[in-house]
Amino acid sequence: MKRSQLIYKIISYSILLLGLGIVAIPIWYMVSTAFKPQTMVFELPPQLWPNPSTFDNFIKAVTTDHFGLYFWNSVKVTLTATLLTVLISSMLAYAFARLNFPGKEALFYILLLGMMVPPVMLIIPQFIVSHKLDLYNNLWGLILVYVTMNIAMQTFLLRGVFEDVPRDLEEAAMIDGGSPFTIFTKIVLPLSGPGLAVVVINSFLYSWEEYTWANVNIGDSVNRTLPIGLALFQSEHLTEWGQVFAASLIALIPVVIIFILFQRYFVQGVSTTGIKG
Amino acid sequence: MREKKTRNQIAPAIIFLLPGFTLLIVFFLGPLLYSFRISFFDWNFAHPDRSVYVGLQNYITQFKSQIFQRAVSNTVIYTVITVVVKMVLGFFVAVILNQKLSGRTGFRVAYYLPVITSWVIVSLLFTYMFSGMGGLVNYFLKDVLHVIDKNIMWLADSTLALVPVVLVDIWKGVGWAAVIFLAGLQSIPVELLEAAEVDGANRWQRLTGVMLPMMRGTLVFLLVVLVLGGLNAYVPFQLITRGNPMDQTHSILTLMYRATFSRMNFGSGAAISYLLTIFVFVLSVVQLKLLRKPAGE
Amino acid sequence: MKARFPFIILSVLIVMSIILGACAKVATPEAPADVTVAPNEVVVTEAPIAEPVTIKYWHTMSDAEAAKLNEVISAFESANAGISVQATRYAWSDFKTALLTAIAGGDVPDTVRMDIAWVSEFASQGALMQLDGFLPDFDAIAASVFPGPLSTNKWDGHYYGLPQNTNTQVLVYNKAAFEAAGIASAPATIEEFVADACALTDTAKGTYGFAEGGTYFWAPAPLFYAMGGKIVDDGITTATGYVNSAESVAAFTMLKDLYDKGCMSPNLLGGGIATDAGQGTGIYAMIIDGPWMVDIYKNNYPELQFEFALIPAGATGTSSVVGGEDVVILDGSKNKEAAAKWVSYLMSVEAQKALAQVGVIPTISSLAGDPDLPAHFGIFMEQLKTAQARVPSPKWSDMDNAINNAYQRILNGDQTPQEALDQAATEINALIAQ
Repeated sequence: MKRSQLIYKIISYSILLLGLGIVAIPIWYMVSTAFKPQTMVFELPPQLWPNPSTFDNFIKAVTTDHFGLYFWNSVKVTLTATLLTVLISSMLAYAFARLNFPGKEALFYILLLGMMVPPVMLIIPQFIVSHKLDLYNNLWGLILVYVTMNIAMQTFLLRGVFEDVPRDLEEAAMIDGGSPFTIFTKIVLPLSGPGLAVVVINSFLYSWEEYTWANVNIGDSVNRTLPIGLALFQSEHLTEWGQVFAASLIALIPVVIIFILFQRYFVQGVSTTGIKG
Repeated sequence: MREKKTRNQIAPAIIFLLPGFTLLIVFFLGPLLYSFRISFFDWNFAHPDRSVYVGLQNYITQFKSQIFQRAVSNTVIYTVITVVVKMVLGFFVAVILNQKLSGRTGFRVAYYLPVITSWVIVSLLFTYMFSGMGGLVNYFLKDVLHVIDKNIMWLADSTLALVPVVLVDIWKGVGWAAVIFLAGLQSIPVELLEAAEVDGANRWQRLTGVMLPMMRGTLVFLLVVLVLGGLNAYVPFQLITRGNPMDQTHSILTLMYRATFSRMNFGSGAAISYLLTIFVFVLSVVQLKLLRKPAGE
Repeated sequence: MKARFPFIILSVLIVMSIILGACAKVATPEAPADVTVAPNEVVVTEAPIAEPVTIKYWHTMSDAEAAKLNEVISAFESANAGISVQATRYAWSDFKTALLTAIAGGDVPDTVRMDIAWVSEFASQGALMQLDGFLPDFDAIAASVFPGPLSTNKWDGHYYGLPQNTNTQVLVYNKAAFEAAGIASAPATIEEFVADACALTDTAKGTYGFAEGGTYFWAPAPLFYAMGGKIVDDGITTATGYVNSAESVAAFTMLKDLYDKGCMSPNLLGGGIATDAGQGTGIYAMIIDGPWMVDIYKNNYPELQFEFALIPAGATGTSSVVGGEDVVILDGSKNKEAAAKWVSYLMSVEAQKALAQVGVIPTISSLAGDPDLPAHFGIFMEQLKTAQARVPSPKWSDMDNAINNAYQRILNGDQTPQEALDQAATEINALIAQ
């Protein structure tokens, strides 16, 4: 038993490291380029270790005008949109997973349409709506559209998660006179940690990276978000890939932090034991 | 208990659905109908009142176009390959990353990094690796493995150009699938796996006999989402091939973008979008119905 | 474990509520005073004469140009009391999307600096103001600028914009490579160009005499025009006898020969070394490119010794292709009178010279040779005298695509140049007929 486990561990590590190599080559290339003084990017053979290495590209990226402001705008938009997405999609998912009401299936398919239509097709009418509601040039205009465009997929995901929550517990709570709200907040949500964590990670990434709508709905540079900042930076430094890579590496940091924080919920079934009995 | 479950719960349902559907109606369904209408017009974006109703003309034009037909076949091939590979690799990565390994968080982050790396930069790097002039891939094939004797001009060939497009999507997408699987694995009760182990099932049997069936929901979700994501592919095609050579490497959506935002032919763009949406919708409904949990489970 | 998730959510909620406070602050209409960018944000919809108006101006300038633009705006504002200009910079990618959406959504900027190729597209949809007959000094301005850039504003017999800045492509060559190959000067004719391109090629070292950035028309256009190539007739009624004329076919045959002999890099079919990186690292001896190469090479390849030369002459002399941007007034603008003043000011010698200091080539022909302009402008302004504009048609993007595909079929050997261009002529004629 012990030996087979050891062998299995070794195999696991070997596969992981092999995969890591494939994953890492482009990323390492990006990192090393970001540390290069000029654009030596497309040299042959590729020079993987920057020599001499320099932080200049990072400093230039961060000190570009409004980088901090764009970053802060993105933080505000992304956190708010993520929170609203988690809240709204978990409510929707609960209704679709657990409640009985007429037209449920039809409504669910309408919801699913939300992830099937190419978002760019909706940009012009969304702009008109945003304008009418005075959301043009306003971070709320970004937040509400991000939530709308994202809830379909996250609800779909959570519906599956909630359906996996054992019904026995709920039924016990119902007999005790618990309302759907109590069941939702006290039983279903606490048991869906991994699923909610995925929704947080997905929604954060989506809102953090979104570019097309932000570019259209924000006409004033004080309200711009980081993807617009990166695109402007890229327009400016078209051929200076080191700087472009450095800027986008900095933009990755918050997503990595969120991922590290929330991947901790992917831990094998600690919680399931208690509820089976 | 049965009767409790089947009674209508309209009041709570309304409360749970209201915030989401308010947003959907305002920012999604309204805009959806608006642009659906455009697809029947030769639409003037500056003066909508000057638009000319053309009936189904925008739709018919697409079907007659060789470029559109080629884009459809490109998109379907791309979807089939990327979905299968991402699901298989994503599953195995998730199973490995689910164990108690030292440095697990580090490995998880590493495998997720491609997901969050900028498309622009990744596409640039893949284009460079598939360069016809001494790129990394040609270097390996020619100078290390000796399987070719002349550099391949990957991006100049209408079939070979799809190779980097498919690979970049797989490279970027495996981590995402793995994260979904990883979360799905948590819903499998440990005692089930332990019971299987006690019964003498080996790892492979536990994987296919216990884990996969227990993750039906996750599998269905991933399949549906990845298929519709693949059919909606835009970025990798646009950034790597831009339709070259000779407009033979478009995806459905790169044609839609081109019609709408480069050629300002909004009616055509809308028609392409709705053809795609209808196809994707029907396909998704069929998948969901076929893969629905058998009754009684 | 069970208890921790809600706890995290709760703590996020608390953080959020703090952040949301900040968010709401930015979102409120009575914007805080710490907004630094937009000066004087007075929003006026319908402007009686004396009331102050704000003109929105969208552009895709670089950092340096945008900084200089602020000086130009200040000068304009002090000369025109009551008018302020609010400039917004967009990234090049998706600028058209933002602009189209704003127009379709009915909230347009008053003025835009747009790519010369877009003017006829936007004008054909009625999105732009006709400037002849509206701008008081239109005739004077039109007479003062280079004819090539001006022609890009013409659609259906009227002008819908003015050339704010211009550029063109010239031959850029690596001096050291020329010296190493024993070539004393840049090629003056197409024959010399072809001979030099092959003399500068070294297959063993993997170097090429010449490289083009792609197969889109902008890339071969200078040589194509220099060899007498044409796409359509002046009235834009037919491509037959133009895009497939003997001269046009000769131009693509010349390029095909260079490609077949290995004297032109295969990178133009995609997936090769880019022209700037290739020339910067000594792989390409000659490329054809614009004035921005000065900065690109200064920043990325400071060691490179490069020179500019006129495009080698064909039977009818040298020629090239016109690039640059036009300034337009949008049809939906609510401040057209004030916008007209701003446009006229951008076309003044004063504004043109100010922006020239940061590398923008002016369109006023009398400024050619002006000692205040950067030294390298000379060759470009000389080339501009013969440079030709691409077809000013709303269908240009599709025409470009037809030529692009023909060029690819030629290089791949799928068709002879004559066959490929005959097909392009048929496709372009169909576009004209639409």
